[in-house]
Order: sequence, then structure tokens, then C-alpha cells
Amino acid sequence: MSKKIFNPWEGILIIFLVCLAVMPRFIDPYWVVFLLLLFMYIGIGASFNITAGYLGYVNLGHYVFFGISAYGFSILYVKGVPFVFCLTTGVLVTLIFATLISYPFLRLKGAYFALANFGLIKLFELVAGSLRDFTGGTQGISLKPGYRALETYYIFLGVALLTVLVCYWIPRSKFGLALFGVREDEEVAAAFGIDVTKYKMSAYVLSALFPALLGGVYAWYSGFIDPEVVFGTDKALLPVTMVMMGGTGTFLGPIIGAIFMMLIEELLWTSTWLPVWIKSLHLTMLGLILAAVGIFSPGGLVTLSPFAKFFNWVGLGRFLGASHKLLKVDKTQA
Amino acid sequence: MLTPTILIQLVLAGVLQGGTYALAAFGLSLIFCIAEVLNITHGEFLMLGGLVTYLLFALTGLNPFLILIIVIPVFVLIGAAYQKVFIKPILNRPPRQLLFSSIVVTVGIATAIEDTTSFIWGPTVKGVSYSMPAFNVGGVVVSSLRLSILVLIIALTIFLHFYLKKSFAGKAIRAILQNREGAMVVGINVPRIVTLVFGIAIGLAGTAGLFYVLLFTIGPFIGLPLTIRYIAIVMLGGSGSLIGSLAGGLILGVAETFAGFFLGAHWSLAVAFCTLVLVLLLKPQGLFKHV
Repeated sequence: MSKKIFNPWEGILIIFLVCLAVMPRFIDPYWVVFLLLLFMYIGIGASFNITAGYLGYVNLGHYVFFGISAYGFSILYVKGVPFVFCLTTGVLVTLIFATLISYPFLRLKGAYFALANFGLIKLFELVAGSLRDFTGGTQGISLKPGYRALETYYIFLGVALLTVLVCYWIPRSKFGLALFGVREDEEVAAAFGIDVTKYKMSAYVLSALFPALLGGVYAWYSGFIDPEVVFGTDKALLPVTMVMMGGTGTFLGPIIGAIFMMLIEELLWTSTWLPVWIKSLHLTMLGLILAAVGIFSPGGLVTLSPFAKFFNWVGLGRFLGASHKLLKVDKTQA
Repeated sequence: MLTPTILIQLVLAGVLQGGTYALAAFGLSLIFCIAEVLNITHGEFLMLGGLVTYLLFALTGLNPFLILIIVIPVFVLIGAAYQKVFIKPILNRPPRQLLFSSIVVTVGIATAIEDTTSFIWGPTVKGVSYSMPAFNVGGVVVSSLRLSILVLIIALTIFLHFYLKKSFAGKAIRAILQNREGAMVVGINVPRIVTLVFGIAIGLAGTAGLFYVLLFTIGPFIGLPLTIRYIAIVMLGGSGSLIGSLAGGLILGVAETFAGFFLGAHWSLAVAFCTLVLVLLLKPQGLFKHV
């Protein structure tokens, strides 16, 4: 491969980002909210991919960081503490929590790790619903209402970009190489002098940072949180389904998965040409689509040939590479 | 507050609850061991079992224990069909992908079942109002309905125990638990046993659903919380062990009843989660070994 002097993708990327930055001034507020939620999902999906895809530990309770930060933020914010201080506290509390639980939890493997985290998020849902004096119980916490979509749009865009950048950097760094080593074989990685515990813990805490940032701002944006909104079962399963749909362990997978999920939801909810009964059953449809993705395309959408061909054609094929190589390795092992 | 009568009553209620848990949890544990699939749909099948019982009872007014004779074979067939259609295509994937795929597929199916049921039936809770006379033993009120369910659960457990120990299929299941490759080498048809295991497991879930609707009420959304309880029981008892599932179910049932009595009903599920997290951290292998 010869090195190009000018990469057209850098130009296109800059134009695209400028478009995203000025977009809220020209489009309907409805689509501002749509994009804002899309950025949130991209942030959560991509950070989930750090542990699930790069490190190989499926964290079924990834949303718990979002929730802790949202609660930390809201509890302080209703007491009149300034925004920045609330957010910092929320994020710091989440990171400390992540550091504390990462050591015992990362001693578990595979399905056991996933289940322990799932139990953790459900435990938080119950605790948040039961401690009425502290968290407002099942009634949740209401913040002062206001129209904050525009500010939130820019914050979420920034966090999503940051997450994507970190996910782009990891596979190209020594840190990422260590994570891949741990994913493929922990004992071999340790034998090669990788401090397995240190890398696992830092990946876990790093992946907790982005949902923590998003969670605090989300509470501020929506003006209301309750245990169901931040710790609900559908929320706990959302990152897994999104990333699985896009493709685990790839750079583009979570982004494509998030876009795809949002589009499906949008289509099933608001389209006028679908019969009404399909809309009433939109969760059923979503479930069946999920099952179909799980059965027919284990590597996610990015490995389906139309997608792969398209990305190869536009020259972005190298972002799918990691997953293809992985699949080959896995096939020879099996 | 805590008189001996109340204590006995609480333990009885806990044991009964634990018994219904254990039946379905053993199925989940078998699936987890034999197919290495995390079947999140399990609680939904219990809900469906309860729904079928409710329907049959409302339509025909049969004795619920006669309905059991219809429910078991129907759910064994449903389980086998479920495995053939949804689980079989993902079984041959490497471990990490199998975990991912099994979560996504079973979560998808669970969501679909939950949503369709609530669409057709509405979100209201339903129960079968079938009562049998209660009798009084030294101040402890024992409902004979609960007692007969307890006897049935014990009978089913003993039957399962001997099925696993004596029958050919049971021996094959235990062989796969001990050594999958070894079982293949001596000519056990592993895919067929996996289908069988799904049939047994989901038949048990349907049976548990029948008992559940007789004892408590069912609604479309009970599935997932129940699945989480089962997972806690499986982890507590050790996967693939009948005794372990029974012990785990009883421990969790009694613990939940006591937590509900002393702290309030909404804390009872917290017991399950705490158990799950603690057991995984302290003793990931569970209390008991394989069958």
C-alpha cells in the first residue's frame, strides 16, 4: 500500500463535522433530539465495545455507570449546586465506584462476569427505588424544567466524538495491543509480561468514563430521572444489542449499530405507511429483528457482504478489518 | 413480633416459593451446562405456562392438576421447537460469540413474547381462583392447595432424579456434563440430547408456571425478574446440579420471604441480586458440583 499525500476522507470528515455542528440551526427541533439521542447511543455503544469487543468481557451492566452519574448529578443539582460541579462529582463518583468493583468483578470470566454485572444493575434499580429520602424512590427526581436540547446536542456530540476517537486510538496503541492479548488468552498475555489485572481494570474504568459523562448531562437535559429510566432492564440490554447488531470488536460496529437501532425505532414508531398493529407491536418487531441478527449474522451488520462491499468500495474497509481477522482466528480455533 | 407460629408459616411459604423456583431453575441450569446458552427467555415460558393454565381453567373449569397433564407435553414440544428454530443455528460458534449471540437471540425472543402477550392480554394480572380447604395444625394454618403443590414438586424432583440416574437419556446428559468430547466419542448424539434438554427444561418451566398461577398472580412482565431469580439460584446451587437447584431455590425462597416480612415486599428481589453478586464473587462454582 502506497501512502497517499492527501486523504480525501480527512476532508469529508471535516465537512461532515462542520455540518453536524451547524445543523441544529437549520433543522426541526424533533431531529435535533433524534440526533442527540443518536450521539448518546453511539457514546454508550462505543464505550461498551471497549470492554466487550477489545477486552472480551461482556459487561451486561454497562448502563449502571450512566445511572450512577445521573443520580449523583441530580441529587446535587436539585440542591442548587452549579452544573459543572454536579457533573464533575457525578463522574468522579462513578469512576471511583468503577475502580472499586473492577477488581473483584474482573476475576470472573465469560457468562459469570456478564451475569454479575447484570445483577449489579438490577440491584441498583431496586436500591434507587427503595431509598426514598435519598433518591426520591420510584417517583424519581425532577429537576427544574427548561429547553436544553441545543446545549445538550453539542455536549453529546463532543462526548460521542471523544468516545469514537478513543475507540479509534485503542487498537493502534500499546494499550489496545495488551487488551487484545488479554482477550485472546490471559495466561499467554501474562507470560509475555503484560500486567493483566492493571490493563483489565483500566479498560473497565475507561469504559465507565463515557456513560458517566453522558448520564449526568442526560439527567440535566431530560429534567427527570427515575430507576426505570437509568437502570431498567431494557436499558441494561441496549448496549449489547446495539453493538452486537453493528459488530463487536470493530471500530465502526457500534456506530452503525446505534444508527441502525435508532432508524428501526423511528421507522416502527412514526412511519405512516405501516399498519397500526405493527406499530402497537413495535417491541415484538424489534425483538424479532434482534433474534434474526443474532442468528444470521454473528459478526454484526458490518460483516454482511453488502455493508462490507460498500465500505471497501468507499475505502473504509480497513475499519472492518479487525473483525474479519478475528472471525478467521475464531473459525480456525473452533 | 416473631412468634414461633409466624416463623413456621414464613418458612413454609418460603419453601413453597423456593420449590416453584427450583423446578424452573433446574431447567435453566441444565440448558446453561449442556448447551452453554444463557436462556433469558426462560421466565417467559413460565409466564406462558401460567397463561395456558389460566385459559384452560377459564374455558373448561378442569381441575388444575388435570391441566398439568396437558401442560407438560405441550411445553416439552414448545421447548424442542424453540431449540430447533432459534438456538440450533448459534450452537456451533466459539465461546465468546456464543455468549453474545445467545444473549441477543434470547433477549429478542423474550421481548417479542412479552410484548405480544401484553398486546393480546393487556397488562392486567391474572390468577386462577381455585381453592382447596385449609386445615389447622397446632395454630399453623396450612392450605391443602399449597401442600398438594409441594407434594407434586417433591414427586417431580424425585422423578427427575431417577430419570437422570437410570434412563439412557439421563445418563447421556450426565455424560455430556462430565466430558463433552468423551460423550461424542462413545457415540452420544449430542445435538439430539441438547434438543431433549431444552424440551425437559421448558416443560419444567411450564409446570412451574402452572404452580405459579395457582399460588400467585401472573402478568405479562413477570418473565425477566423471574429469569434473574433463576440465574441467582443456578449460580448459588452450582450449574447442572439438581440438588443444587433445589437447595438454591429453597434458600432464595426462604430468604425472600423473610426479607419481605421484615423489610417490605419490594426488598425481596434485592435479596436475589445480592445473592447473585455475592455468590459470584465468593464462590463462582456454586455450592454443589454437577448432578
